[in-house]
Amino acid sequence: MEINWSAVLGIVFTPVIAFLVGVTYGGLTRRITARIQNRFGPPFYQNILDIIKLYSKESNINHGVMQHLGPVFAITASVTTLFFIPVIKDSPVFTNFSFNGDLIFLLYIMVFGSLGMALGAGQTGNPNSAIGVSRGLSQLVGYEVPFVMALVAIMVQFQTTSLNDLLAVQDHFTKWIIFQSPFAFLAAILAFLGMMGYAPFDVVIAPAEIASGPPSEFGGKYLGLMLTSRSIFTFAKLVLFTDIFLGGAHDFITLIIKTFILYMIPVLTGIVFPRFRTEQSIRFFWSWPLFFGILAILVVVF
Amino acid sequence: MNSIAYILLITFAGAGITFIVHHLIKPLRDIIAITVAASGLYFVIQSLTEKTKIVFGIADFNIIWGNTPYSNLFAVLIAVLGFLTILYARDFMAEKERLGYFYMNLLFVIGGMYGIVYSQDLISLFFFWEVMTWSSFLLVIYCCKEAQPIGLKYFVFSAIGAYSLLIAIVMIYAQTGNLELSNILQNFGNISEVNQIVIAVLLLTGFGVKSAIMPLHVWAPDSYSISPSPFTALFSGALSKMGIFGIGMVLFKFASHSGYFSYVKIILAWLGGITALLATFYAIFQTDAKKLLAYSSIGQLGYIIIGLAVGTPLSIAAALFLVILHGAFKAMLFMSVGAVYFRTGTTDMNSVTGLIRKMPLSFVTMLFGIITVSGVPPLGGFAAKWMLYESLIQSKHYFLVIVVFAASTAAFLYLYKLIFSLFLGQEEVEWSHVKEVPLLMLIPMLILSAFVLVAGIFPGLVLDPISHAMQYLGNYGFKYETSVLFNEWGNKINMQTVINVIGAVFLIAGLFVTFKGLKKTRYVTTKDIHTSGEIPEENENLTYAVDFYKPFERAIAPALKASIDKIYTAIGNNLEQAFDFLRYVYTGNGQTYAMYVVLFLSLLILFAELIFGIKL
Amino acid sequence: MSPVHFIAIPLFAAFLIPLAGKVSKELVKIIPGLVLLYLSFVSVTLFPIGTHHPVVEIIAGFKPPFGITLYYGAIAAFLTTLITLIGFVIWLYSYKFIIREPIEKYYMLFMMLITGSTGIVLTGDIFNLFVFFEITSIAAYSLTAFLRDRDGAEAAFKYLLIGSFASTFFLLAIAIIYANVHTLNLADIAVKIQDVPVTTRLFVLILFLIGLGIESEMFPLNGWAPDAYSQAPSPVGAVFGGIVVKAAVYSLMRIIFLMFNSHDVLHFLLVMGIITMLIAEMSAMKQQQIKRMLAFSSIGQMGLVIIAFGIGTEPSVRAAMFQMFNHALIKSLLFFSAGYLVFHSGSKKISALDGLGHDKPITSFFFAFGALAIIGLPPFSGFWSKLYILLSIADAGLMVPVVLILISSIIEAVYYLRVVSRLYFYKEEATDVRRTPVSGLIAMGILTVVILLVGFYPNLILNWMTPAAADLLNKASYIKFGLF
Repeated sequence: MEINWSAVLGIVFTPVIAFLVGVTYGGLTRRITARIQNRFGPPFYQNILDIIKLYSKESNINHGVMQHLGPVFAITASVTTLFFIPVIKDSPVFTNFSFNGDLIFLLYIMVFGSLGMALGAGQTGNPNSAIGVSRGLSQLVGYEVPFVMALVAIMVQFQTTSLNDLLAVQDHFTKWIIFQSPFAFLAAILAFLGMMGYAPFDVVIAPAEIASGPPSEFGGKYLGLMLTSRSIFTFAKLVLFTDIFLGGAHDFITLIIKTFILYMIPVLTGIVFPRFRTEQSIRFFWSWPLFFGILAILVVVF
Repeated sequence: MNSIAYILLITFAGAGITFIVHHLIKPLRDIIAITVAASGLYFVIQSLTEKTKIVFGIADFNIIWGNTPYSNLFAVLIAVLGFLTILYARDFMAEKERLGYFYMNLLFVIGGMYGIVYSQDLISLFFFWEVMTWSSFLLVIYCCKEAQPIGLKYFVFSAIGAYSLLIAIVMIYAQTGNLELSNILQNFGNISEVNQIVIAVLLLTGFGVKSAIMPLHVWAPDSYSISPSPFTALFSGALSKMGIFGIGMVLFKFASHSGYFSYVKIILAWLGGITALLATFYAIFQTDAKKLLAYSSIGQLGYIIIGLAVGTPLSIAAALFLVILHGAFKAMLFMSVGAVYFRTGTTDMNSVTGLIRKMPLSFVTMLFGIITVSGVPPLGGFAAKWMLYESLIQSKHYFLVIVVFAASTAAFLYLYKLIFSLFLGQEEVEWSHVKEVPLLMLIPMLILSAFVLVAGIFPGLVLDPISHAMQYLGNYGFKYETSVLFNEWGNKINMQTVINVIGAVFLIAGLFVTFKGLKKTRYVTTKDIHTSGEIPEENENLTYAVDFYKPFERAIAPALKASIDKIYTAIGNNLEQAFDFLRYVYTGNGQTYAMYVVLFLSLLILFAELIFGIKL
Repeated sequence: MSPVHFIAIPLFAAFLIPLAGKVSKELVKIIPGLVLLYLSFVSVTLFPIGTHHPVVEIIAGFKPPFGITLYYGAIAAFLTTLITLIGFVIWLYSYKFIIREPIEKYYMLFMMLITGSTGIVLTGDIFNLFVFFEITSIAAYSLTAFLRDRDGAEAAFKYLLIGSFASTFFLLAIAIIYANVHTLNLADIAVKIQDVPVTTRLFVLILFLIGLGIESEMFPLNGWAPDAYSQAPSPVGAVFGGIVVKAAVYSLMRIIFLMFNSHDVLHFLLVMGIITMLIAEMSAMKQQQIKRMLAFSSIGQMGLVIIAFGIGTEPSVRAAMFQMFNHALIKSLLFFSAGYLVFHSGSKKISALDGLGHDKPITSFFFAFGALAIIGLPPFSGFWSKLYILLSIADAGLMVPVVLILISSIIEAVYYLRVVSRLYFYKEEATDVRRTPVSGLIAMGILTVVILLVGFYPNLILNWMTPAAADLLNKASYIKFGLF
């Protein structure tokens, strides 16, 4: 069997890069938030230190097999999502498995992790975790609908469900889908706010209220794995949005710029807004984002 | 004699024999029932390779039984589920009363379903349809006094369905003079357009009742939840598919000629969509596990109906794939909930919690079940959902796909609630005595779990028979490979890659988590958690299960206000009162009766011209 | 053997029974059984003959149209067989059920009922028909009051009151006919009535409709029926539902097909049938007493039969006959089982039946079986006749009656299944230890087996129904054979 070394390279390095970028973004967020709030904040590499610390801790207890596997589900979903997204356009190394999946697959694999986590959190028996899961799932229903509407509009407009085809369409910046289908972008980016889980949609983990909810019984290696997964997943989502709306990237510099801009949207929104209650956020997602979604589809149809 | 004759004969005779044996030699009863179901399965598999036809006359009609690729698909579903449920019932029902009655009706239901799929004429179709209806009714009312009104509701709705079938059959007979399927299919186009539509709508209504399309679904939640679990598995898994079977026949074999028919299809598709969405919402707020699953069933059948009504090759494939898959996973879920019931005596999600360590295999079954329902890769549900979405988008049902997607996302909510409340969460002292169910109950659950896994990785294996069935339905072809699915735009999804990636990452991460500090890790109870310094007592209930989705309920409350069930109940009550009023026509007074006679005489004489056309 | 046996022997037995009562009570019980067994044998032997070619028996030597004749055609063969066989089963059931004195009167009246009914079916003479009607009616009045309680007497009185209307109108109609055509032979009347002025004919028709409509339980003439059915002893309910009404409907249809065969009349019957059926089924819904419920159900079923006759095509008439057959069987089964259920529960109320299914499993089973059968579920015989009725109606191009029949079937299902539910699922402890006698169980068992047999193999009955329907519809052949 002939081994495709460039593919192997991609498989090995994509998660690593994703992790590093994601974790750095996380650190930068803390920093930026602090600066806006007139604090100094930790250094941008603080999150990496945190994760290293967590991995080096010994975790002596667990609450059973589902709790044990919860973070594993999470990281499986993050990494799989990442593998099915072309990170760098037309690159033999970083397209990974993106030709074997499509947008609908991505939609589903993206929730795989949160569901797995939810199962893990459920087994711990902590009522706060259960409350968090309840809120998280409810909110999920809220933002998935406008997101899917945006995707449907785009899929219909370009007659494809494959990300690679979408990338191929956006060969010039005037043809970026953000310009071709602005309503879809609006719907999707509002949904994106919910997906990222920053304020005002952070009722799921609400640290001061339900003791950070689902992850509250996780520590040490489990929490480390979860944070790793989260960093990778953040990056994956950013790349996905970049690929869909901003024409993807031919090199890492462009990718970093585009993803960072995208990333700042939920971060900055989060700094300005207070927290929504669950039903408020659901209602929010089913108002303007939904409207934009419908508009996007109508524009495509007529 | 050929396989089909054997199947029907063995099942129906077996039903009777089981009943008799129950009253003579009790221990033999289970063995006979299982043997009957097993031989049914054997002959169904035999019949797959042969193409047979039995013709004989009853009354003035030619009764024709035969198999087509389409019926084979359903027959296998019936046979497998029938066999597994009877296997499961062996231990589940062991302590119950009236087992002769139970097994007899269970086998009658199975036989009725075989009959329906093998019927090649409408008389025997209706015959078996009714047999299935009353035997399932008898099973619904099996348990207790509380089940009686529920069973009656089921029967009334079934009767409405069956009779709209009958009206359609009667109309077909009046129009074509024949009730053989082959003949009708040839001549259906010659019937006037209006009648075609009326017949098709009547048939769809009739079949729709069994597959619980809104607004004909109201019988389903209660009937599913009150019937004994082994039967519920069959009820939801196979019996509801008989409606789908019929709808498929109507949509693709009968009424493909008329131009107006596309409107019927669109309406049907949207009914399916609304069914899926509302049923899912209702499911979220149930507190009884079986009721939750019942609503879930209604929702899933909604997807199937959408798939059929949309009618592109991919959507039909998705629908038929879901038929098989739903049969499997809903049976798994009902069996798993049944297992919980078997050990705890309740299916109330607010009271049972934390069974995972006591019933690990039942948990695994339910886990596989909910993953399949949710449509998350890598299990079979994903392939079905994928095909459905792709086909909806590509056939320009943009808003329908949103509705479907919203429904299946909302499904996560109830699925999580189901598994969380029963198996996860706090381990309460109350359930410390619970242990895993007997082997005979586990086997069916595990077989089905294995099946949904295989169907997820190699959907092509299931799609093979489905594509044959679709050939029969009208030459629908679509592209697929053993583990690769294609949509109509040529995009594909490779399940093999998906499972490899997921498997590899899962394995690596799993091994890492497991072996890092393996020796020091110990299990602690669910009381030993972060509670802000409070130390919970042994008997303190920390479970968060009641009103689990209160915020979501607040968000969508307006959508749930209207209840079709209440409307029906009101209609029913008013009718009964009206009937009661009418009863007083018969006053019990002889003079009144005499007056009626005289009045009638005078009316006849007065209106003789009007009535008889002759002036007196 | 000749058709005369059907009338003469039970009549003779009716007179013999009081005498036998002086000798032994057992003899009283056995004589009717022997008679009915013999008659069943005769009817089965004669059946092929009558079906093949009508036998016309002349009484007292006068040739028709002057003498009294018996017309034993396909339909008479079918109905006599039905009456004698059902009669035999009813006897079997009564054998242990009627334990209350005076037993000999019961059997005597029972024999008179059989005489009257077979007479109605067989006679070819309209006055003779009236006479047999009176025999039947008087026996029926007396049987209604057999229990000699207040309710029974009241019911019998109502029956008598309404029944006397029937007799009066019937007699009046006969008188008018005789005045106009000077003959009493049915075949002869059928020929000559064409010359009678239209208005007179119409008046006669109305009188017949009322007179016979009362006995065939047509709305609004059926006020007597619920009381009579429910107050009479249970086997008598079966006699009414299984035998008397069948004979009455037959004679109504015979007269209409012979003398007034017009579309308007048939349509009128169709509409009346529908009204009868709907009102009866709706009234049955809320009944408190089981036998009253059965009575209303009976009326509803007769409505169905009248609908089918009202369509007036050969398939529909055949279906109507088939339905009559099934109804006779199933309703008898229901009355039988209800009889013992009432007996065991000690109350006529439906609410008293709770939990009898555990207590009296076999009797309750028969009731449940009958309930499923009468709703028209396969594989019971009721399914086929209902199906045939619907098909024949649709064949005639009418869809509204089909829908209405099915609606009433749903109503029927509701009230029957409620009772079945009560029997099995409402109470779980056993209280009564008395047993249902074997003879009763055998009677019910026979009916059950026949219902199932016909359900699986309807041709068994259906093949004989075709000549019967032809016989009823074919006026020309009736006239030809009736007058030689």
